[in-house]
Order: sequence, then C-alpha cells, then structure tokens
Amino acid sequence: MATVTLRKVGKVYQGEGGRTVRAVEAVDLAIAHGEFCVLVGPSGCGKSTTLRMIAGLEDLSEGTLEIGGKRVDDLPAKDRDIAFVFQNYALYPHLTVQENIAFGLETRRAHRSALVAMCTGASAERTAESTKINARVAEVSKTLALDALLERYPRELSGGQRQRVAVGRAIARDPKVFLFDEPLSNLDARLRIETRTELRTLHRRLQATIVYVTHDQEEAMTLADRLVVMHEGKIQQNATAQECYERPANRFVAGFIGTPPMNLVDGQMESGVFTANSVSMPIAAGPFRRDCTLGVRPDRLRIVSSEQPGALSATIATIERLGDRTDLALDTAWGRLTARVDAALAHHFREGTRVGVTVDAKDTHYFERGACGVRIDGS
Amino acid sequence: MNRSPLTNALLWFVLILGTAAFIFPLWWMAVVSLETPQRAEAAITGSAGIALFPPSPQFENYATAIKETGSVPWMGFVDALANSIVVTVLVVLGTVISSSAVGYALARLRFRGRRGLFLIMLGTMMLPGQVTMIPLFLLFRQFGWIDTILPLVIPAFFGNAFFIFMYRQFIAQIPESLVEAARVDGLGHAAIWWRIILPLCRPVTAICAIFTFIGTWNDFLGPLIYLHSDESATLAVALNGFKNQYGGLEDVHLLMALSVLTMIPCIVLFIAAQKTFVEGLARGAVKG
Repeated sequence: MATVTLRKVGKVYQGEGGRTVRAVEAVDLAIAHGEFCVLVGPSGCGKSTTLRMIAGLEDLSEGTLEIGGKRVDDLPAKDRDIAFVFQNYALYPHLTVQENIAFGLETRRAHRSALVAMCTGASAERTAESTKINARVAEVSKTLALDALLERYPRELSGGQRQRVAVGRAIARDPKVFLFDEPLSNLDARLRIETRTELRTLHRRLQATIVYVTHDQEEAMTLADRLVVMHEGKIQQNATAQECYERPANRFVAGFIGTPPMNLVDGQMESGVFTANSVSMPIAAGPFRRDCTLGVRPDRLRIVSSEQPGALSATIATIERLGDRTDLALDTAWGRLTARVDAALAHHFREGTRVGVTVDAKDTHYFERGACGVRIDGS
Repeated sequence: MNRSPLTNALLWFVLILGTAAFIFPLWWMAVVSLETPQRAEAAITGSAGIALFPPSPQFENYATAIKETGSVPWMGFVDALANSIVVTVLVVLGTVISSSAVGYALARLRFRGRRGLFLIMLGTMMLPGQVTMIPLFLLFRQFGWIDTILPLVIPAFFGNAFFIFMYRQFIAQIPESLVEAARVDGLGHAAIWWRIILPLCRPVTAICAIFTFIGTWNDFLGPLIYLHSDESATLAVALNGFKNQYGGLEDVHLLMALSVLTMIPCIVLFIAAQKTFVEGLARGAVKG
C-alpha cells in the first residue's frame, strides 16, 4: 500500500487542426495510505483522465505524480504497481476465470524468472511458482465467492460475476494502489448497491489505497473517505463526503452533491432580508450586503401555512411519494423549489394547494453568483 | 414464412438448376478421371456424349496418375506433394503472422504517418499482380533465388494488404480496455499481440489461413515462373508437366485423376473450418 501524490497535474489533448483541449488542469491531490478516495463529477469533468494518468494509460502533460513517495510519471503502467478495474471489466474473453485472475501474476513471474529458468533449467522452481500462483488464485476466489466459477469463460458469467472477477484480478497481484473506473455503472440498481457494500468491506479488510471514479454522487458519498469533486478539469472541493454535503465549497458542489439537489436562488442579501424577483424573505444572516446565491437543501425547507407572515408563498406543482418521505415541487416567485418532507406530514398535501415556505438561518448557504461561485463564509 | 406450393416448387427448381450448373464441372472432372483413355479423349473432343456415370469405372487410373507424375515413377508425385505442402504451410504461417502483426499496429499504435501508410498499403491492392511480375522476377534473380521456394515464401512474411486490412478492421473493434488491461498486467506490444489479440482474432485467422491455403495450393503461375527443375515443382505445376510430357489429350483421364486428388485437401479444409468462419469469439469480452 502506498500514498498517491499529484502535483499540478494537467492534461492537454491536441485536437483537430492544432486546437488544444484541456481535459485536466492543475490538479493537486494527496491521497493517504489506505485511503478510499473517490473522484466524482459529471461526464467530461476530467475524473477518468486523472485516473488514467495515475495508471499510466495516459501521459501527463504537466505536473508530477508520485506513488509511495517515488516519482512514477515516466514509468510505464506495468512498473507502477497498480491494478485497474475497468468500467467494462476488460476480462480476457479467451481465458477462463482462473486464467484471468492468474494472468497478471504469471506475466510478472515470467519477467522475473525467465532468465533464471533458462540458465538452470529450473523446472522445479517453475512448478513451485505455479503452485504459489494457484494458491493465490484460490485464496482470492474464495474471498470473492468465485470458487465455483473458476473454469468458466467470461461470456458464461452474469454482469455481477464478471465484475467480481475483475476485482479478483486486481487484488490477486496485491498492488500498491487500486484504481477503479466506474466499476459499478454496468450493473443494475440493486446489484450496484450490494456491490458497493462489498467494496467497502473489501477496502476495510485489505487496508488498500483506492482511487475510485464515478459520476454517481450517491455512490461517491457512501464509499469515500475523501471526496474529490471535479468539474471542467479542476478540483472543486476535496474533503470528506460529510463536509462536501454540509459546507459545499462553491455553487457547483452545492448543486452536484445531494439528491434531490440543493435549491439555489440568485438574489440580494441586505440587512437580514433575502430578495429575489422583488419578493423578500427575512433570514437572519451575517451582516453582509451584496448580490449572491442562496442555497437551501430540500429537506431544510419548512412548509408552513400560507398565511404565516414572512413566508414565501408557494403552490404545490407535483408530489412524489417515496415511502418514508415525499418530495414536493413548489412553484414560487423565486422559481421552482424542491422540498423534501416526512411522509407522515405529507398526507394533507394535494397538488395545487397553496402553502408557505420558510428557511432557518442555520440551514442556509451563500455563494457568489455564477456557475462556480465560491462559498461566502460567515454565512 | 408461408409460401404457396407453386412458389416453393419454382424456388426449388431454380436452386437445383443453379447448383447443378456449379457442380457440373467438378462432377465431369470426376467422371472423366474414371473413364478409359479412349472414352476420356472422346469426351474431351466432343465426339461422344457426356456420361453422368462412367460405364466401367477405371479406379486404377489414380494409381497410374500418381506413378507417372514427374520424371521418376512414384517419387515424382511424392516430391511435388512435399513441395506443395512446404510452400503452402510456410506461406500460410507467414501471411497470418505478418498480416495480424501489421493489422494490430495499424489499429492500435499511434505513430506518425499511420494514416498515410495505411492508404499506401490499400493502394497496393489496386495493382494487378501482372504489373509487378517482371520487376519482381528480376529482383529475385539478383538475389539468386530462382529455382528455390524463397520467392514464393518470403513475400508472405511481409504481409498481404487485403488480410492486413481485414485484421485491422477486426482488431479495431476489440475493446481498447483489453489492451490497456494487458498493459497494466505487464505485457508489451509483442506479447499483447501474441497472447491477447491473436487468440481473439480466430475468425479472421481462419479466413486468412483458408484463403491463403487455397490460393497457394492451387497457385500455378508463381511456381511456374520461379521453379524450373522437376524436383522443385509443386503439385499444380506437376499437373501441367503431365500434359506437356505426353502432349495432346490422350492422357486426359490421368490429368483429371490427379486434379481430383489435388483438390481434396482444399475441400476437406473448407468443410472442417466452416464453423470457425462464423464464430465471433469477442462475445463476452465486455458487458452484454
């Protein structure tokens, strides 16, 4: 196991006709030994490119990369001692599960001992090596409940089984760092949640350093020790999942992390009153006075009677019942807002009902205007 | 699909007629190979009708044909057979190895001039072989390769444009992630080609091997140009020697008997490999 350190890492692609496309920009990231680090962001945000640069499948255009304190950005993928789990699993279709898991072990052994074997004719050593490999494969396949499938070919496996083989192939080699590129996105919803839990358990047992890429923020939050939110090639926030949720560093993170997404309203704050579209609501907040974006999580909007003074008046547009809770889409002078309420309270709501909305000062976030407007602190 | 009996009958009729037209020359070759010398000659010159079955099959024609191939009884045939086998096996190996390696490079390696090279290579497919025949002959003569199998075999190890194209198209469809997984697993390009790409290319390799086999086995012009002595002749050339040796058509039954024998390996191979043709091994590589 090892640390992974990226310093000012960037990736520039040469496009058609001399145009350059910047996929990743000045990424600084220090991943600790044994940490589960998740890179998350919408598609095209540079998260996969970053992962592939760590793996050595893409060259770095700028910056440096260290694994275990050793600079590796000039080393080929095979010498970085990493394992990579691909989105489509990339199992070798002409090899059985057993052979797939053993493949990396065998190629490494071949590199090391081919000369020795040639000189000494050491067939005994070779047998000992392949016994060792078989033992390792057996161990790994037991961990992942693949024992019964060792003789099968990838085409004879279900999606979930293939995914486990891909993970097995990665752990068999006992690498310094595991890299996962959206490994769950080809599974159906239920299996995805199961496998998520298994991965988490596996991480705890292996104490491995993992860098994991996903576009699914829920998956990211449940897995991550450290969450790295990326957008347009840059890191937007690098913190624990909890902190990203509770104190989003900018407007992008606020909108990306959390389902349903945070309500964001552009307006002005002045003397504890927030005004948007000429409609004001008193919110006791900091003494600042400026244009800003107000953010409130859907579960923090409070639904009150429409007559309550100071409340923003709203009409319930749609009601989505999710069992234990209910999501309301509200049409207000501030635009469409989403509120999440307890299912028990939602009984008497009907579509078209007029209600009031209030917000507690402690539940508000303020950002500078603009797509990536930074958090205004003291809010 | 529901067809009326009349349509069905018509369809069958057309199909049977077509099949008969295509089978006929082969059937006729087999028939003549079993005729007596007189009847065979009469059949060729058209002074007799064409029998669908020889009235008294002369199976000894085959033994005679084998014995009288080349200048040395029995051994002439063995020589020609051995030459054909050696040339064909080497050409098939060379074509498969070189074409798949070049196809892999064109499909997966990024290097300057890749597009240009690919286009030039495709361009060579437009050149008729006759155009390069004389320059090539002069070149190989300079090398001192005349009357050896080298001019027939060595070019095969430099790839065949059509099969390179086929391999390239097939390899381009193999998921990039398989190659990347192999890189992470510690393989270089040569090992990736040998251990990952080539096993996955089985359907293309089957086509390439069979077409090359049939083409080389039946090739007449190449061996005729480069192999001059009796002992180095391949079967296809030996067949022709047969005719020259006696002139005229009096031994046409023997010629046909040897032709039938020469065809057998091609037919057997084709039937045996038919399944691999349609097989797509890349299924199951990835999701789906």
